[in-house]
Amino acid sequence: MMCDVCLKNPATTHIKRVVNGVAKEKHLCSYCAAKEGYSNFGKLSFANMLASVFSENESNNLISTRRCQCCGASFSDIAQSGKVGCSECYTVFKDQLLPSLGRLHGKTIHTGKTPNQAEQTEKVSDKINKLRQSLNDAIKNEEFEKAAEIRDEIKALEGEVKDNE
Amino acid sequence: MSSWYNKVDVKNSAVISSRIRLARNIKGIPFPARMNDTQKLELLDKFKSVFDGSKVNEVGTLKFIDMATVPEEELMAMVERHIISPDFAKKQGPKGLVISDDETVSVMLLEEDHIRIQVLLGGMELIKAYEIALEVEALLGKNLLVAFDSQLGYLTQCPTNLGTGLRASLMLHLPLLEGYGSIAPLAESVSKIGLTVRGMYGEGSRSHGGLYQLSNQVTLGISENAAIENLTAIANQIVQKEYSARDEVEKSSIADNVFRALGTLKYARKITSDEAIKLLSLVKLGVSMGIIDEVKPHIPMQLIIKSKPFSLQTQYGRMTPSDRDVCRANFIREQI
Repeated sequence: MMCDVCLKNPATTHIKRVVNGVAKEKHLCSYCAAKEGYSNFGKLSFANMLASVFSENESNNLISTRRCQCCGASFSDIAQSGKVGCSECYTVFKDQLLPSLGRLHGKTIHTGKTPNQAEQTEKVSDKINKLRQSLNDAIKNEEFEKAAEIRDEIKALEGEVKDNE
Repeated sequence: MSSWYNKVDVKNSAVISSRIRLARNIKGIPFPARMNDTQKLELLDKFKSVFDGSKVNEVGTLKFIDMATVPEEELMAMVERHIISPDFAKKQGPKGLVISDDETVSVMLLEEDHIRIQVLLGGMELIKAYEIALEVEALLGKNLLVAFDSQLGYLTQCPTNLGTGLRASLMLHLPLLEGYGSIAPLAESVSKIGLTVRGMYGEGSRSHGGLYQLSNQVTLGISENAAIENLTAIANQIVQKEYSARDEVEKSSIADNVFRALGTLKYARKITSDEAIKLLSLVKLGVSMGIIDEVKPHIPMQLIIKSKPFSLQTQYGRMTPSDRDVCRANFIREQI
């Protein structure tokens, strides 16, 4: 069997991942495996895994220069330290973080308890405010289809708040 | 309530303690690694006003301690009593601790996360410990908004704690399984179901005297109750194996080892920390198996903790390692 990535060398590392119940298999040669962060099984550190995810995205300069407005962290700060900068980073860098979270926990959706009701309602209102902001942006940019989607989302959330009251 | 090491469930004495840890952060404030000292002091002030003097059912009143003023030896003694983590003791800069008189509740402030609530109880008491932890969490109330995401759950500095932010651990006494070399294969098989086995002081620590910590690893995509139930079920199977090994082993050979250990502890004039743990572990085994009846069940574990280097020094003052070994031998002789 040849390596899935380079298609040149024989595959020596076989990886089976189950994320949200869906199994995916990968067959890699040792070189490509190392590149994807599967080299050091004895000491698999999260920082390495994040760094490897980061390196996959490195060609995209937009991503690597973006910083979190709350704490000033960039994704490469997070990837190098293995530490996320603040709670907002999880929103700003969600797309880059999700793949490694899946590798880490096997799942990417929280099923445990949530903070108490009062806090929750506050959070929904936060969400609505954020959505209103992006609704305005969408209208400004004449992205009307996107705007309609956002409007529906806001309506749904407002309904939720009323149900809770 | 009494400290975890002063309580023994004689019917299930291989389960020494239950610990629940909840990681929480405040929304919109950088995680500790990216905070400056001014931000840290401000946040500690807020935490002080929330926790200091608050009452928790069955536990009592909480007290805030400014950890920057606590001498290093006292910090290390707290590590030995499992009240704080080794990393927290070594951490520089502003940090705080909220603690109950009986030390069952301790909240590390500005460790890896803004808040680390810990509840530590003797015996198999994970559910009760979790309930107490929730009560402590509720003290945050509406004044401080906890960082939470509907998809990712509670947000933490290290993504390994995302989701529930819950780490449940049980400290187990498994001298026979250790003797049979069963721990390594056990650690491997529990890792497949999202649990880990570690030494007595957690990450990277070696085990002493058959003492191991079993804890959950996965925090995202599993509910708190399911995590606690899984851990309890597996722990029960493990201790049952330990008990059946104790039933099957030839009593006379164990009795010889156990009484030799007791004899050394009773008469030795100099004992190192490692030797003390090894011997006290054997005495604990002897008491559990009904071979020794002159030692009270909680004494071995209590002595394991109290005869550790920094705990001895906070009680008897600073001394050289060699003097400390003499002091340890005297201390144990008085108690056993």
